[in-house]
Amino acid sequence: MHPAPSIILFTVLSGFGFGLISIVGLLQFLNQINEFDIIIFSGMGLFFSIIGLISSFFHLANKKNAIKSMSQWQTSWLSREAISSVLCLSIVVGNIGWVIVQNRYINDVGIMLFLLSLFTVFTTSMIYAQLKTVPSWNNMLTPAIFIFAALAGGSILLMDYASLVLLLIFGVLQVLFWYTADQSFIYKETSVGTALGFSKNEDIRSFDLAHTSRNYLLNEMVYKVARKHGVKMRYISFFSAFVLPMLLVLMFPGNFSVSVLVIASHLIGIYFSRWLFFAEAKHSVGFYYN
Amino acid sequence: MTKLPKCEDKKLGLLIDLDTCVGCHGCVVSCKEWNSSGGEKQLSDLNSHQKDPVGTFLNRVHSYERENSCTNETETFYFPRSCLHCEDAPCVTVCPTGASYKREEDGIVLVNEDDCMGCGLCAWACPYGARELDLVSGVMKKCTLCVDRIYSEELPPEDRVPVCVKSCPTGARAFGDFNDPNSDVSKKVKERGGVDLMPEMQTKPVNKYLLPRIKSKNSASSFGSVVEEETDATGLLGWVDRALSKI
Repeated sequence: MHPAPSIILFTVLSGFGFGLISIVGLLQFLNQINEFDIIIFSGMGLFFSIIGLISSFFHLANKKNAIKSMSQWQTSWLSREAISSVLCLSIVVGNIGWVIVQNRYINDVGIMLFLLSLFTVFTTSMIYAQLKTVPSWNNMLTPAIFIFAALAGGSILLMDYASLVLLLIFGVLQVLFWYTADQSFIYKETSVGTALGFSKNEDIRSFDLAHTSRNYLLNEMVYKVARKHGVKMRYISFFSAFVLPMLLVLMFPGNFSVSVLVIASHLIGIYFSRWLFFAEAKHSVGFYYN
Repeated sequence: MTKLPKCEDKKLGLLIDLDTCVGCHGCVVSCKEWNSSGGEKQLSDLNSHQKDPVGTFLNRVHSYERENSCTNETETFYFPRSCLHCEDAPCVTVCPTGASYKREEDGIVLVNEDDCMGCGLCAWACPYGARELDLVSGVMKKCTLCVDRIYSEELPPEDRVPVCVKSCPTGARAFGDFNDPNSDVSKKVKERGGVDLMPEMQTKPVNKYLLPRIKSKNSASSFGSVVEEETDATGLLGWVDRALSKI
Protein backbone atom coordinates (compact mmCIF):
# COMPACT_ATOMS: atom_id res chain seq x y z
CA MET A 1 0.00 0.00 0.00
CA HIS A 2 1.12 3.53 -0.74
CA PRO A 3 2.73 5.06 2.37
CA ALA A 4 1.14 8.52 2.01
CA PRO A 5 2.83 11.01 4.38
CA SER A 6 -0.52 12.64 5.18
CA ILE A 7 -1.96 9.35 6.45
CA ILE A 8 1.19 8.33 8.32
CA LEU A 9 1.41 11.70 10.08
CA PHE A 10 -2.28 11.45 10.88
CA THR A 11 -1.98 8.05 12.58
CA VAL A 12 1.25 8.99 14.39
CA LEU A 13 0.25 12.44 15.66
CA SER A 14 -3.41 11.83 16.41
CA GLY A 15 -2.46 8.51 18.03
CA PHE A 16 -0.02 10.33 20.31
CA GLY A 17 -2.49 13.14 20.98
CA PHE A 18 -5.35 10.80 21.91
CA GLY A 19 -2.90 8.71 23.95
CA LEU A 20 -1.96 11.78 25.96
CA ILE A 21 -5.64 12.67 26.45
CA SER A 22 -6.41 9.14 27.62
CA ILE A 23 -3.56 9.14 30.19
CA VAL A 24 -4.57 12.58 31.50
CA GLY A 25 -8.14 11.27 31.71
CA LEU A 26 -7.03 8.20 33.64
CA LEU A 27 -4.98 10.26 36.09
CA GLN A 28 -7.84 12.72 36.47
CA PHE A 29 -10.17 9.84 37.31
CA LEU A 30 -7.66 8.49 39.86
CA ASN A 31 -7.02 11.92 41.39
CA GLN A 32 -3.33 11.63 40.52
CA ILE A 33 -2.93 14.91 38.62
CA ASN A 34 -3.17 18.61 39.45
CA GLU A 35 -5.31 21.18 37.65
CA PHE A 36 -2.38 22.90 35.99
CA ASP A 37 -1.11 19.65 34.44
CA ILE A 38 -4.57 18.80 33.14
CA ILE A 39 -4.66 22.11 31.27
CA ILE A 40 -1.11 21.74 29.89
CA PHE A 41 -1.17 18.09 28.90
CA SER A 42 -4.77 17.91 27.64
CA GLY A 43 -3.94 21.04 25.65
CA MET A 44 -0.92 19.26 24.20
CA GLY A 45 -3.03 16.20 23.38
CA LEU A 46 -5.58 18.47 21.73
CA PHE A 47 -2.85 20.14 19.68
CA PHE A 48 -1.34 16.89 18.37
CA SER A 49 -4.74 15.31 17.66
CA ILE A 50 -5.86 18.32 15.68
CA ILE A 51 -2.60 18.49 13.70
CA GLY A 52 -3.09 14.79 12.89
CA LEU A 53 -6.69 15.29 11.81
CA ILE A 54 -5.73 18.28 9.64
CA SER A 55 -3.04 16.11 8.05
CA SER A 56 -5.63 13.42 7.22
CA PHE A 57 -7.81 16.11 5.67
CA PHE A 58 -5.05 16.74 3.13
CA HIS A 59 -5.32 13.14 1.99
CA LEU A 60 -8.84 13.74 0.69
CA ALA A 61 -9.17 14.32 -3.04
CA ASN A 62 -12.51 16.12 -2.70
CA LYS A 63 -12.23 18.05 0.56
CA LYS A 64 -15.51 19.93 0.32
CA ASN A 65 -17.47 16.79 1.21
CA ALA A 66 -15.40 15.98 4.31
CA ILE A 67 -18.19 17.03 6.67
CA LYS A 68 -20.41 14.27 5.21
CA SER A 69 -18.03 11.68 6.64
CA MET A 70 -19.88 11.92 9.96
CA SER A 71 -23.05 10.42 8.49
CA GLN A 72 -22.45 6.67 8.06
CA TRP A 73 -21.55 5.57 11.59
CA GLN A 74 -23.80 2.53 11.31
CA THR A 75 -21.48 0.70 8.91
CA SER A 76 -18.28 2.68 8.42
CA TRP A 77 -15.30 2.72 10.80
CA LEU A 78 -13.99 5.88 9.15
CA SER A 79 -17.27 7.60 9.88
CA ARG A 80 -17.21 6.35 13.49
CA GLU A 81 -13.69 7.71 13.80
CA ALA A 82 -14.74 11.13 12.52
CA ILE A 83 -17.60 11.35 15.03
CA SER A 84 -15.64 9.89 17.92
CA SER A 85 -12.64 12.19 17.45
CA VAL A 86 -14.76 15.35 17.23
CA LEU A 87 -16.80 14.29 20.26
CA CYS A 88 -13.68 13.45 22.26
CA LEU A 89 -11.91 16.71 21.39
CA SER A 90 -15.05 18.71 22.26
CA ILE A 91 -15.11 17.11 25.71
CA VAL A 92 -11.38 17.87 26.12
CA VAL A 93 -12.05 21.55 25.35
CA GLY A 94 -14.98 21.50 27.78
CA ASN A 95 -12.85 19.84 30.46
CA ILE A 96 -10.01 22.35 30.08
CA GLY A 97 -12.53 25.22 30.19
CA TRP A 98 -14.15 23.80 33.34
CA VAL A 99 -10.76 23.42 35.07
CA ILE A 100 -9.73 26.98 34.14
CA VAL A 101 -13.02 28.53 35.29
CA GLN A 102 -13.69 26.39 38.39
CA ASN A 103 -10.06 25.58 39.28
CA ARG A 104 -11.05 21.99 40.10
CA TYR A 105 -11.93 18.95 38.07
CA ILE A 106 -14.61 16.28 37.89
CA ASN A 107 -13.16 12.75 38.20
CA ASP A 108 -15.84 11.07 36.11
CA VAL A 109 -15.08 13.26 33.12
CA GLY A 110 -11.60 11.73 33.30
CA ILE A 111 -12.76 8.16 32.82
CA MET A 112 -15.03 9.30 30.00
CA LEU A 113 -12.05 10.92 28.23
CA PHE A 114 -9.90 7.85 28.87
CA LEU A 115 -12.41 5.51 27.24
CA LEU A 116 -13.48 7.81 24.43
CA SER A 117 -9.93 8.67 23.34
CA LEU A 118 -8.94 5.01 23.29
CA PHE A 119 -12.11 4.21 21.37
CA THR A 120 -11.09 6.88 18.84
CA VAL A 121 -7.68 5.23 18.38
CA PHE A 122 -9.48 1.90 18.06
CA THR A 123 -11.73 3.27 15.29
CA THR A 124 -8.65 4.58 13.48
CA SER A 125 -7.05 1.14 13.63
CA MET A 126 -10.25 -0.58 12.49
CA ILE A 127 -10.20 1.44 9.26
CA TYR A 128 -7.23 -0.78 8.37
CA ALA A 129 -8.00 -3.91 10.38
CA GLN A 130 -11.40 -4.34 8.69
CA LEU A 131 -9.89 -4.80 5.22
CA LYS A 132 -9.93 -8.45 4.14
CA THR A 133 -8.03 -7.33 1.06
CA VAL A 134 -4.90 -6.60 3.13
CA PRO A 135 -4.31 -9.73 5.24
CA SER A 136 -1.38 -8.32 7.24
CA TRP A 137 -3.76 -5.67 8.63
CA ASN A 138 -6.82 -7.88 8.90
CA ASN A 139 -6.26 -9.13 12.46
CA MET A 140 -6.52 -7.86 16.02
CA LEU A 141 -2.81 -7.05 16.24
CA THR A 142 -3.53 -3.90 14.25
CA PRO A 143 -5.81 -2.33 16.90
CA ALA A 144 -3.45 -3.67 19.57
CA ILE A 145 -0.35 -1.87 18.22
CA PHE A 146 -2.30 1.32 17.55
CA ILE A 147 -3.78 1.42 21.07
CA PHE A 148 -0.56 0.51 22.90
CA ALA A 149 1.51 2.90 20.80
CA ALA A 150 -0.93 5.64 21.84
CA LEU A 151 -0.90 4.63 25.53
CA ALA A 152 2.89 4.26 25.66
CA GLY A 153 3.49 7.60 23.92
CA GLY A 154 0.93 9.36 26.10
CA SER A 155 2.32 7.95 29.34
CA ILE A 156 5.96 9.03 28.84
CA LEU A 157 5.44 12.61 30.06
CA LEU A 158 3.09 11.74 32.89
CA MET A 159 4.17 8.43 34.32
CA ASP A 160 7.57 6.85 34.95
CA TYR A 161 7.51 3.13 35.73
CA ALA A 162 3.99 2.60 34.39
CA SER A 163 5.16 3.93 31.03
CA LEU A 164 7.90 1.26 31.02
CA VAL A 165 5.21 -1.43 31.23
CA LEU A 166 3.21 0.17 28.43
CA LEU A 167 6.32 0.53 26.26
CA LEU A 168 7.19 -3.10 26.88
CA ILE A 169 3.70 -4.28 25.84
CA PHE A 170 3.92 -2.10 22.75
CA GLY A 171 7.37 -3.51 21.85
CA VAL A 172 6.18 -7.11 22.14
CA LEU A 173 3.05 -6.42 20.07
CA GLN A 174 5.10 -4.64 17.41
CA VAL A 175 7.46 -7.59 17.01
CA LEU A 176 4.48 -9.95 16.90
CA PHE A 177 2.87 -7.81 14.20
CA TRP A 178 6.01 -7.89 12.05
CA TYR A 179 6.40 -11.61 12.58
CA THR A 180 2.79 -12.28 11.52
CA ALA A 181 3.00 -9.94 8.53
CA ASP A 182 6.02 -11.89 7.24
CA GLN A 183 4.30 -15.26 7.27
CA SER A 184 3.21 -16.59 3.93
CA PHE A 185 0.09 -18.03 5.56
CA ILE A 186 -1.51 -14.62 5.68
CA TYR A 187 -2.61 -15.24 2.09
CA LYS A 188 -3.90 -18.66 3.03
CA GLU A 189 -6.65 -18.82 0.46
CA THR A 190 -6.01 -16.20 -2.19
CA SER A 191 -3.71 -16.56 -5.20
CA VAL A 192 -3.60 -15.45 -8.81
CA GLY A 193 -5.62 -18.64 -9.43
CA THR A 194 -8.56 -17.67 -7.21
CA ALA A 195 -8.34 -14.06 -8.41
CA LEU A 196 -9.16 -15.34 -11.91
CA GLY A 197 -11.74 -17.93 -10.83
CA PHE A 198 -9.47 -21.00 -10.97
CA SER A 199 -8.26 -23.16 -8.11
CA LYS A 200 -5.62 -21.84 -5.72
CA ASN A 201 -2.67 -23.74 -7.15
CA GLU A 202 -3.33 -23.02 -10.82
CA ASP A 203 -0.08 -21.97 -12.51
CA ILE A 204 -0.90 -18.64 -14.17
CA ARG A 205 1.40 -15.85 -15.32
CA SER A 206 0.74 -12.48 -16.84
CA PHE A 207 2.29 -12.20 -20.30
CA ASP A 208 1.22 -8.70 -21.24
CA LEU A 209 0.19 -5.53 -19.46
CA ALA A 210 -3.41 -4.40 -19.12
CA HIS A 211 -2.22 -0.84 -19.61
CA THR A 212 1.00 0.71 -20.78
CA SER A 213 1.79 2.95 -17.82
CA ARG A 214 1.04 3.03 -14.12
CA ASN A 215 -2.46 3.81 -12.91
CA TYR A 216 -4.28 4.67 -9.68
CA LEU A 217 -4.47 1.02 -8.61
CA LEU A 218 -0.76 0.44 -9.03
CA ASN A 219 0.20 3.70 -7.35
CA GLU A 220 -2.15 3.18 -4.43
CA MET A 221 -2.18 -0.56 -3.83
CA VAL A 222 0.63 -2.26 -5.68
CA TYR A 223 3.16 0.24 -4.41
CA LYS A 224 6.62 -1.20 -4.89
CA VAL A 225 9.05 0.23 -2.39
CA ALA A 226 12.68 -0.47 -1.83
CA ARG A 227 11.78 -3.37 0.44
CA LYS A 228 15.45 -4.27 0.64
CA HIS A 229 15.73 -1.66 3.41
CA GLY A 230 12.67 -3.03 5.20
CA VAL A 231 14.63 -5.01 7.80
CA LYS A 232 16.99 -2.11 8.52
CA MET A 233 14.01 0.19 8.94
CA ARG A 234 12.45 -2.23 11.40
CA TYR A 235 15.61 -2.07 13.51
CA ILE A 236 15.63 1.74 13.36
CA SER A 237 11.95 1.84 14.26
CA PHE A 238 12.29 -0.65 17.11
CA PHE A 239 15.34 1.08 18.57
CA SER A 240 13.88 4.56 18.29
CA ALA A 241 10.31 3.78 19.37
CA PHE A 242 11.06 1.21 22.03
CA VAL A 243 14.69 0.50 23.08
CA LEU A 244 15.96 4.08 23.48
CA PRO A 245 12.80 5.31 25.31
CA MET A 246 13.03 2.29 27.66
CA LEU A 247 16.70 2.99 28.43
CA LEU A 248 16.18 6.72 28.96
CA VAL A 249 13.15 6.25 31.21
CA LEU A 250 15.06 3.66 33.23
CA MET A 251 18.10 5.92 33.62
CA PHE A 252 16.25 9.19 34.24
CA PRO A 253 12.85 8.37 35.75
CA GLY A 254 10.66 11.42 36.18
CA ASN A 255 13.08 13.79 34.44
CA PHE A 256 10.86 16.07 32.37
CA SER A 257 13.47 17.37 29.90
CA VAL A 258 14.66 13.82 29.19
CA SER A 259 11.00 12.87 28.68
CA VAL A 260 10.74 15.38 25.84
CA LEU A 261 13.72 13.70 24.17
CA VAL A 262 12.11 10.30 24.78
CA ILE A 263 8.89 11.46 23.11
CA ALA A 264 10.79 12.75 20.08
CA SER A 265 12.64 9.46 19.71
CA HIS A 266 9.45 7.45 20.28
CA LEU A 267 7.46 9.39 17.68
CA ILE A 268 10.22 9.08 15.07
CA GLY A 269 10.23 5.33 15.70
CA ILE A 270 6.45 5.17 15.40
CA TYR A 271 6.69 7.12 12.14
CA PHE A 272 9.04 4.47 10.74
CA SER A 273 6.76 1.74 12.06
CA ARG A 274 3.72 3.26 10.34
CA TRP A 275 5.65 3.80 7.12
CA LEU A 276 6.44 0.08 7.12
CA PHE A 277 2.84 -0.68 8.14
CA PHE A 278 1.71 0.76 4.80
CA ALA A 279 4.67 0.11 2.54
CA GLU A 280 4.97 -3.58 3.42
CA ALA A 281 1.24 -4.32 3.26
CA LYS A 282 0.14 -6.21 0.17
CA HIS A 283 -3.30 -5.84 -1.36
CA SER A 284 -5.11 -8.64 -3.18
CA VAL A 285 -5.43 -6.57 -6.38
CA GLY A 286 -1.68 -7.19 -6.84
CA PHE A 287 -2.52 -10.74 -7.95
CA TYR A 288 -3.99 -9.37 -11.19
CA TYR A 289 -0.64 -7.73 -11.89
CA ASN A 290 1.50 -10.74 -11.02
CA MET B 1 -26.89 4.91 2.63
CA THR B 2 -24.07 2.45 3.14
CA LYS B 3 -26.22 -0.29 4.65
CA LEU B 4 -26.59 -3.11 2.14
CA PRO B 5 -30.13 -3.99 1.05
CA LYS B 6 -31.39 -7.23 2.61
CA CYS B 7 -32.53 -8.63 -0.70
CA GLU B 8 -32.59 -7.18 -4.17
CA ASP B 9 -35.48 -7.68 -6.57
CA LYS B 10 -33.05 -8.23 -9.41
CA LYS B 11 -29.36 -9.02 -9.56
CA LEU B 12 -28.20 -7.38 -12.73
CA GLY B 13 -24.69 -8.20 -13.81
CA LEU B 14 -22.34 -9.44 -16.50
CA LEU B 15 -21.36 -12.91 -17.59
CA ILE B 16 -17.90 -12.95 -19.14
CA ASP B 17 -16.75 -15.89 -21.24
CA LEU B 18 -12.97 -16.20 -21.08
CA ASP B 19 -13.10 -18.87 -23.77
CA THR B 20 -14.48 -16.38 -26.26
CA CYS B 21 -12.71 -13.16 -25.30
CA VAL B 22 -9.92 -12.36 -27.75
CA GLY B 23 -8.43 -9.50 -25.74
CA CYS B 24 -9.18 -6.76 -28.27
CA HIS B 25 -9.81 -4.11 -25.54
CA GLY B 26 -12.93 -3.01 -27.45
CA CYS B 27 -14.95 -3.05 -24.21
CA VAL B 28 -12.29 -0.90 -22.51
CA VAL B 29 -12.41 1.74 -25.22
CA SER B 30 -16.20 1.82 -25.60
CA CYS B 31 -16.61 2.00 -21.80
CA LYS B 32 -14.27 4.96 -21.61
CA GLU B 33 -16.03 6.64 -24.52
CA TRP B 34 -19.58 6.18 -23.19
CA ASN B 35 -18.71 7.24 -19.66
CA SER B 36 -16.77 10.31 -20.77
CA SER B 37 -19.24 11.80 -23.21
CA GLY B 38 -22.22 12.39 -20.97
CA GLY B 39 -21.64 16.04 -20.08
CA GLU B 40 -19.95 16.95 -16.79
CA LYS B 41 -18.94 13.49 -15.63
CA GLN B 42 -15.66 12.43 -17.17
CA LEU B 43 -13.14 9.65 -16.91
CA SER B 44 -10.19 11.95 -17.10
CA ASP B 45 -6.71 11.46 -18.53
CA LEU B 46 -3.52 13.23 -17.52
CA ASN B 47 -0.43 13.67 -19.75
CA SER B 48 -2.30 11.82 -22.47
CA HIS B 49 0.21 12.83 -25.15
CA GLN B 50 3.29 13.01 -22.96
CA LYS B 51 5.51 10.80 -20.91
CA ASP B 52 3.75 8.74 -18.20
CA PRO B 53 0.12 9.11 -19.25
CA VAL B 54 -2.44 8.11 -16.59
CA GLY B 55 -6.16 7.82 -16.91
CA THR B 56 -9.28 6.52 -15.23
CA PHE B 57 -10.88 3.39 -16.63
CA LEU B 58 -13.77 1.29 -15.35
CA ASN B 59 -12.71 -1.83 -17.18
CA ARG B 60 -9.27 -3.31 -17.86
CA VAL B 61 -8.28 -6.36 -19.90
CA HIS B 62 -5.39 -8.48 -18.62
CA SER B 63 -3.50 -11.16 -20.55
CA TYR B 64 -2.42 -14.42 -18.93
CA GLU B 65 -0.86 -17.74 -19.84
CA ARG B 66 -1.21 -21.04 -18.06
CA GLU B 67 -0.04 -24.60 -18.40
CA ASN B 68 -2.55 -27.04 -19.83
CA SER B 69 -2.14 -29.99 -17.48
CA CYS B 70 -3.47 -32.31 -20.21
CA THR B 71 -1.21 -31.40 -23.12
CA ASN B 72 1.65 -29.69 -21.24
CA GLU B 73 1.31 -26.79 -23.61
CA THR B 74 0.99 -23.15 -22.63
CA GLU B 75 -2.37 -21.58 -23.37
CA THR B 76 -3.16 -17.89 -23.33
CA PHE B 77 -6.38 -16.21 -22.33
CA TYR B 78 -7.64 -12.69 -21.79
CA PHE B 79 -9.36 -11.45 -18.68
CA PRO B 80 -11.61 -8.37 -18.57
CA ARG B 81 -11.74 -6.98 -15.02
CA SER B 82 -14.46 -4.59 -13.81
CA CYS B 83 -16.88 -4.14 -10.89
CA LEU B 84 -18.65 -7.40 -9.98
CA HIS B 85 -21.58 -5.64 -8.22
CA CYS B 86 -21.09 -7.86 -5.17
CA GLU B 87 -24.01 -8.78 -2.94
CA ASP B 88 -21.85 -8.18 0.14
CA ALA B 89 -20.02 -5.22 -1.29
CA PRO B 90 -17.28 -4.18 1.17
CA CYS B 91 -16.74 -0.95 -0.79
CA VAL B 92 -20.23 0.19 0.20
CA THR B 93 -20.10 -0.46 3.93
CA VAL B 94 -16.69 1.22 4.46
CA CYS B 95 -17.82 4.49 2.84
CA PRO B 96 -17.97 7.24 5.50
CA THR B 97 -20.01 9.78 3.53
CA GLY B 98 -22.80 7.60 2.13
CA ALA B 99 -21.63 8.23 -1.44
CA SER B 100 -21.32 4.50 -2.14
CA TYR B 101 -24.54 2.56 -2.25
CA LYS B 102 -26.11 -0.60 -3.60
CA ARG B 103 -29.49 -0.26 -5.24
CA GLU B 104 -32.31 -2.30 -3.78
CA GLU B 105 -34.21 -2.62 -7.05
CA ASP B 106 -31.46 -4.17 -9.19
CA GLY B 107 -28.33 -4.58 -7.03
CA ILE B 108 -26.20 -2.13 -9.01
CA VAL B 109 -23.38 -0.61 -6.90
CA LEU B 110 -23.01 3.10 -7.57
CA VAL B 111 -21.17 6.18 -6.33
CA ASN B 112 -23.03 9.43 -5.76
CA GLU B 113 -20.28 11.82 -6.81
CA ASP B 114 -21.92 14.76 -5.02
CA ASP B 115 -21.25 13.05 -1.67
CA CYS B 116 -17.82 11.46 -2.32
CA MET B 117 -14.89 13.06 -0.48
CA GLY B 118 -12.22 11.11 -2.33
CA CYS B 119 -10.73 9.29 0.67
CA GLY B 120 -10.11 6.18 -1.41
CA LEU B 121 -11.08 3.70 1.31
CA CYS B 122 -13.62 1.93 -0.93
CA ALA B 123 -10.88 1.25 -3.48
CA TRP B 124 -8.82 -0.32 -0.69
CA ALA B 125 -11.78 -2.44 0.42
CA CYS B 126 -12.41 -3.87 -3.07
CA PRO B 127 -10.42 -7.08 -3.63
CA TYR B 128 -10.71 -6.75 -7.41
CA GLY B 129 -9.39 -3.25 -8.07
CA ALA B 130 -12.72 -2.22 -9.56
CA ARG B 131 -12.61 1.37 -8.33
CA GLU B 132 -10.32 4.14 -9.51
CA LEU B 133 -10.10 7.64 -8.08
CA ASP B 134 -10.42 10.24 -10.80
CA LEU B 135 -7.34 12.42 -10.55
CA VAL B 136 -9.03 15.52 -11.94
CA SER B 137 -12.46 15.52 -10.27
CA GLY B 138 -11.18 13.86 -7.06
CA VAL B 139 -14.14 11.49 -6.80
CA MET B 140 -14.30 7.72 -7.04
CA LYS B 141 -15.25 6.16 -10.36
CA LYS B 142 -16.61 2.69 -10.97
CA CYS B 143 -18.65 0.63 -13.40
CA THR B 144 -22.30 1.74 -13.35
CA LEU B 145 -23.45 -1.24 -15.43
CA CYS B 146 -24.37 1.58 -17.83
CA VAL B 147 -27.38 2.44 -15.71
CA ASP B 148 -27.93 5.36 -18.08
CA ARG B 149 -28.27 2.96 -21.04
CA ILE B 150 -30.14 -0.04 -19.66
CA TYR B 151 -33.12 2.05 -18.45
CA SER B 152 -32.92 4.62 -21.24
CA GLU B 153 -36.17 5.37 -23.04
CA GLU B 154 -34.43 7.23 -25.84
CA LEU B 155 -32.14 4.46 -27.04
CA PRO B 156 -33.60 1.77 -29.31
CA PRO B 157 -34.43 -1.38 -27.28
CA GLU B 158 -31.52 -3.41 -28.70
CA ASP B 159 -29.07 -0.79 -27.36
CA ARG B 160 -30.38 -0.95 -23.78
CA VAL B 161 -27.44 -3.05 -22.56
CA PRO B 162 -24.10 -1.99 -21.06
CA VAL B 163 -21.89 -0.54 -23.77
CA CYS B 164 -19.16 -3.16 -23.17
CA VAL B 165 -21.68 -5.89 -23.99
CA LYS B 166 -22.94 -4.02 -27.05
CA SER B 167 -19.44 -3.40 -28.40
CA CYS B 168 -17.91 -6.85 -27.82
CA PRO B 169 -17.17 -8.23 -31.31
CA THR B 170 -17.06 -11.87 -30.19
CA GLY B 171 -20.06 -11.91 -27.87
CA ALA B 172 -17.88 -12.76 -24.89
CA ARG B 173 -19.92 -10.53 -22.61
CA ALA B 174 -23.57 -11.05 -21.70
CA PHE B 175 -25.84 -8.92 -19.52
CA GLY B 176 -28.83 -10.09 -17.55
CA ASP B 177 -30.60 -10.82 -14.28
CA PHE B 178 -28.83 -13.50 -12.25
CA ASN B 179 -31.79 -13.67 -9.87
CA ASP B 180 -34.03 -15.01 -12.61
CA PRO B 181 -33.27 -18.72 -13.16
CA ASN B 182 -34.74 -18.51 -16.68
CA SER B 183 -32.56 -15.64 -17.89
CA ASP B 184 -29.97 -16.40 -20.54
CA VAL B 185 -27.10 -15.59 -18.18
CA SER B 186 -28.45 -17.87 -15.43
CA LYS B 187 -28.91 -20.73 -17.88
CA LYS B 188 -25.40 -20.32 -19.22
CA VAL B 189 -23.92 -20.19 -15.71
CA LYS B 190 -25.69 -23.45 -14.93
CA GLU B 191 -24.72 -25.11 -18.20
CA ARG B 192 -21.04 -24.11 -18.26
CA GLY B 193 -20.37 -23.71 -14.54
CA GLY B 194 -19.95 -19.98 -13.98
CA VAL B 195 -17.45 -19.09 -11.27
CA ASP B 196 -16.90 -16.29 -8.74
CA LEU B 197 -13.61 -14.41 -8.43
CA MET B 198 -11.90 -14.75 -5.02
CA PRO B 199 -14.90 -16.44 -3.37
CA GLU B 200 -12.82 -16.58 -0.16
CA MET B 201 -13.23 -12.80 0.21
CA GLN B 202 -16.94 -13.47 0.89
CA THR B 203 -18.12 -10.62 -1.28
CA LYS B 204 -20.62 -12.80 -3.21
CA PRO B 205 -20.01 -11.28 -6.64
CA VAL B 206 -23.01 -11.05 -8.98
CA ASN B 207 -20.89 -11.07 -12.14
CA LYS B 208 -19.78 -14.55 -13.15
CA TYR B 209 -16.96 -15.79 -15.35
CA LEU B 210 -16.87 -18.81 -17.67
CA LEU B 211 -13.36 -20.24 -17.61
CA PRO B 212 -11.50 -21.35 -20.75
CA ARG B 213 -12.35 -24.95 -21.58
CA ILE B 214 -9.41 -27.35 -21.33
CA LYS B 215 -8.34 -28.12 -24.87
CA SER B 216 -7.94 -31.87 -25.34
CA LYS B 217 -4.80 -33.61 -26.60
CA ASN B 218 -6.57 -34.65 -29.80
CA SER B 219 -7.75 -31.19 -30.73
CA ALA B 220 -4.24 -29.88 -30.36
CA SER B 221 -2.55 -32.64 -32.37
CA SER B 222 -5.13 -32.74 -35.16
CA PHE B 223 -4.51 -29.04 -35.70
CA GLY B 224 -0.79 -29.78 -35.91
CA SER B 225 -1.30 -32.53 -38.50
CA VAL B 226 -3.07 -30.20 -40.93
CA VAL B 227 -0.01 -28.01 -41.06
CA GLU B 228 2.67 -30.63 -41.17
CA GLU B 229 1.25 -33.52 -43.14
CA GLU B 230 2.66 -33.76 -46.69
CA THR B 231 0.34 -34.77 -49.53
CA ASP B 232 1.20 -35.47 -53.13
CA ALA B 233 0.59 -32.37 -55.20
CA THR B 234 -1.50 -32.61 -58.39
CA GLY B 235 -1.87 -30.54 -61.57
CA LEU B 236 0.72 -27.91 -62.39
CA LEU B 237 2.30 -28.10 -58.92
CA GLY B 238 2.46 -31.88 -59.32
CA TRP B 239 4.40 -31.49 -62.56
CA VAL B 240 6.79 -28.98 -60.87
CA ASP B 241 7.20 -31.41 -58.00
CA ARG B 242 7.98 -34.33 -60.28
CA ALA B 243 10.33 -32.24 -62.46
CA LEU B 244 12.24 -30.93 -59.46
CA SER B 245 12.48 -34.42 -57.99
CA LYS B 246 14.28 -35.62 -61.09
CA ILE B 247 17.07 -33.02 -60.89
